[in-house]
Amino acid sequence: MHTHSSIRTLDELKEFLHGAMQLEHATIPPYLTALYSIMPNVNQDAAQILRVIVVEEMLHLTIAANVLNAIGGTPDLTRPDFVASYPAYLPDGETDFEVGIQAFGREALATFLKIERPAARPEHLKAQSPLIHRKSSQHKTVLGSHPRNKDLHFYSIGEFYAAIVEGIKELEEKAKREGQTIFTGDRSRQITSEYYYSGGGELFPVFDLKSALDALELIIEQGEGDGGGIYDDDEHELAHYYRFEELVKGRYYLKGDKPGHPTGPPLQIDWDGAYPIKPNLKVAEISDGSELREATVAFNHRYGEFLALLTRAYNGQPSLLLEAVPVMFEFRNMMLELIRNPLQGHPGLNGSPTYEIGKNTADPYAAHRAEAAA
Amino acid sequence: MLFPSESALRVDPQAVAGSRDYDIVIVGSGISGAIIAKQAAEAGKRVLVLEAGTGANRSLVGYDDLLTTFYSAAAKDNQSPFPVNANAAMPRSPQLRKLQAGETDSSTYIVQSGPYVSDTTYTRIFGGTTMHWEAKTPRMLRSDFKSRTNYGQGLDWPLSFEEVEEDYRLAEQEIGVSANVEDQSYLGQTFPDGYVFPMRGLPLSYLDQQVNNGIDGTSVDLYGRIYPLKVRPYPQGRNGIPNPAYDGGRGYRPVGAVNTHQVEEGGRCQGNTNCVPLCPVQARYHSGKTLAKAFRMNGKSGQPLVELLPQAVASKVVIDPDSGKVSALEVKVYEDPRSPVYETISVRGKVFVLAAGAIETARLMLSSGLRSTSGLVGRNLMDHAYLLNWALMPQICGTMRGTSSTGGIVDLRDGPFREKQAAFAIDIHNDGWGWATGAPTSDLLELVDDRNLHGSDLRQGLIDRVSRQLLLAVMLEVMPVESNRITLDPQFTDALGNMRPILSFTVPEYTMRGAAYARQFSRTVFARLGAQDHTSYDRSDFGYVAYEGQGYAIRGGNHLAGTHIMGTTKTNSVVNKNQRSWDHENLYLVGGGSMPTIGTANVTLTLAAMCFRSGRDILNYLH
Repeated sequence: MHTHSSIRTLDELKEFLHGAMQLEHATIPPYLTALYSIMPNVNQDAAQILRVIVVEEMLHLTIAANVLNAIGGTPDLTRPDFVASYPAYLPDGETDFEVGIQAFGREALATFLKIERPAARPEHLKAQSPLIHRKSSQHKTVLGSHPRNKDLHFYSIGEFYAAIVEGIKELEEKAKREGQTIFTGDRSRQITSEYYYSGGGELFPVFDLKSALDALELIIEQGEGDGGGIYDDDEHELAHYYRFEELVKGRYYLKGDKPGHPTGPPLQIDWDGAYPIKPNLKVAEISDGSELREATVAFNHRYGEFLALLTRAYNGQPSLLLEAVPVMFEFRNMMLELIRNPLQGHPGLNGSPTYEIGKNTADPYAAHRAEAAA
Repeated sequence: MLFPSESALRVDPQAVAGSRDYDIVIVGSGISGAIIAKQAAEAGKRVLVLEAGTGANRSLVGYDDLLTTFYSAAAKDNQSPFPVNANAAMPRSPQLRKLQAGETDSSTYIVQSGPYVSDTTYTRIFGGTTMHWEAKTPRMLRSDFKSRTNYGQGLDWPLSFEEVEEDYRLAEQEIGVSANVEDQSYLGQTFPDGYVFPMRGLPLSYLDQQVNNGIDGTSVDLYGRIYPLKVRPYPQGRNGIPNPAYDGGRGYRPVGAVNTHQVEEGGRCQGNTNCVPLCPVQARYHSGKTLAKAFRMNGKSGQPLVELLPQAVASKVVIDPDSGKVSALEVKVYEDPRSPVYETISVRGKVFVLAAGAIETARLMLSSGLRSTSGLVGRNLMDHAYLLNWALMPQICGTMRGTSSTGGIVDLRDGPFREKQAAFAIDIHNDGWGWATGAPTSDLLELVDDRNLHGSDLRQGLIDRVSRQLLLAVMLEVMPVESNRITLDPQFTDALGNMRPILSFTVPEYTMRGAAYARQFSRTVFARLGAQDHTSYDRSDFGYVAYEGQGYAIRGGNHLAGTHIMGTTKTNSVVNKNQRSWDHENLYLVGGGSMPTIGTANVTLTLAAMCFRSGRDILNYLH
């Protein structure tokens, strides 16, 4: 089956933006898990860097929702496939790579660097098809894939977003010719800076072509950088890739530094300073009836409720984001419980959030038990 | 908000001593010094800020180290996050004891000469006392500026409310105050048309609401006048929801955590209950946020305009005998907080600003032999007197949830009764009885040791006890009295050989009359709430004051003021209404010390407003 890479209809654009939301959300569980796996009183620098990045990913998710709302879409974080099944896969040029749930450490950091690394298409490949056939197994989530054909993915996240930017421009141009606009969304559905602020960019309402392009540019720049410079546009903010690289190099970047050569003060990393969680744990692997299993299912349930709350916030009730704050504290505490307790049958390994959200597989025995009880 | 990198900030004491181009030398990095430094840098002036503390907490890691110290401290007092530094010592309230008649206790940094022993504190680290403040930011009332004229008490300011109003707005902008105009428009407080605070008001806690349910619509009668009661929200210097209507619709951009290395936090208030002594997410304002802006400003040559010299304790103001102007500051720069080794450098500049807090600024002046023409340096020391009242609510009220204090009973901040007795504002403490009894630790010990509870009984016992706790902290007006003061004596010195402050204080009768009424008032409130009063004041308490046959434990409010009051002439005051010394034209003494009265407003907002005024005056002087 052939799928064109360009976006031709508004409905297609909406699907791409849902894909963007899914993609932006997909980095949150790995980053959050790594952050909360860090032991108390160690790796403060790493915890701060992870925290600021995860907060910016939440910003990106919200910006994608703003753009989707602006064109009259209805963001839905409760779709069954919204939360990736981990390990998930991200495109990396011709191939793809695994993004899993794991503890903070060298391996996790290597993955994070890959996530944030800009993949520029080499000159000799420029003429080739924009879409790549997946290399990973059929049953895994590939992020940055084509919404209509999950077997085809974009060369890079950059190209995925480039397709969205082009799609928006073309569709708006076409609408303009007919005296219309694609920006028909209700402005009260936009999430604004009242609900988010940090040094990492601002939330602004999206209501026309310019604000939509600004919004997407912020996502692209913060994530990937814009190819080359370690700082983003206004020389203010370090791109995510280089923040993670600071941890690998054990040294902070200063303004004016060359990529790969930070010259700021050293920072301390304790590579053993994280709880040894079992990577990509699934509920089914946890002993049935154990407290850990119960807590894992409870976390998944709560996280699912959180996504439902966000969905309502993104659908005309922005003030619900205030209610989301204590929920985030709540599931942080739930995650800490999972991460700091041993996993039965796996000596030396601890539990972990599994992020099996909205799937009946989260507890395959539940139906069984219900039946037995009936 | 980013600090420049460490290397850009580090200044060498010898370079500082050799420098002849500082326009302004500021002693202290608290809010007063920070505001003046930022204003000066905006005008392109070269500024040196001297800080007695190590300055380590200006990075996010250093700030977080303070948090770690706080979390692991056994006693969670105001100063618990801040490591002991004998070279820049500060008062620490748990060390106090009651004095015998005529006794002087020199065992603590502030020598207590009595008769009243004050547990007042201030913080000698980068950021000054804004590192531990509670961040309530009420304005003073219009009548507070004229209490001598209106009530025959205290002193009139040389400034009217109207002259300060615009600077109040600048201070509210700098601090990033969260409040709603409609909540603050009581007792005749007015705001310009269309004014909104930078951020929307923070909500009342559940405890506040429970208290309000019990008193709203009721009133008290005082000297024949009726005062209606309700719980009103306090304006607060902590990040809430930016108000899009601020600044004519341009909105407000809050400052999050400050740091050096792109690891900024969002810095929105999360409702942690340990605002005092230290906000874990820097949602609460501290002057490091203002200084971060100042440090980023560069001069024409690209060099930073504002330099910070930490570990630098100003020890003498040197006066040129011919001109009467300040010619230099002698500064003791120590090498290490664990060692008293220091070198003395001399710092020159065109204007000198002492912004070290009411006690340290007075101490520096007095140790330099500068008592001023009026002889008032060190005198008229003021601090709000607190009377604590605690009770158990009949129902669970969610105590320990929310920031330290979100609301209070403030309708007795003004009235004709002020001819006879002190006005007061009451804070409802979301952290329960902690200030009065050491709760919840004291509750835990009692339930375990005295009642032998364990397991679920203990958990339920704690919930039952702690989440019903109500503490009404009554903040009483204290008027200036010349004999309440700071003095020095060469026999009492610190590790660097600087003379330590000696505090002599009597709680004025005017305040005690207010305290006696406030005690009755609190009992009335408890009765209306159906709350069980547990208040008791111990005779052996260091702050025990007897008044008309009753005893009260009076606490300091850490709202220090009055040691270099402003006035209309060089004989009735130390500084003029721009906080400039009457005696030395290039010397400014800024901060709470300039305030002739403090009313019932926590002092920080007002002193911040006054510093905007002084900053303008300094720039005028330099031109």
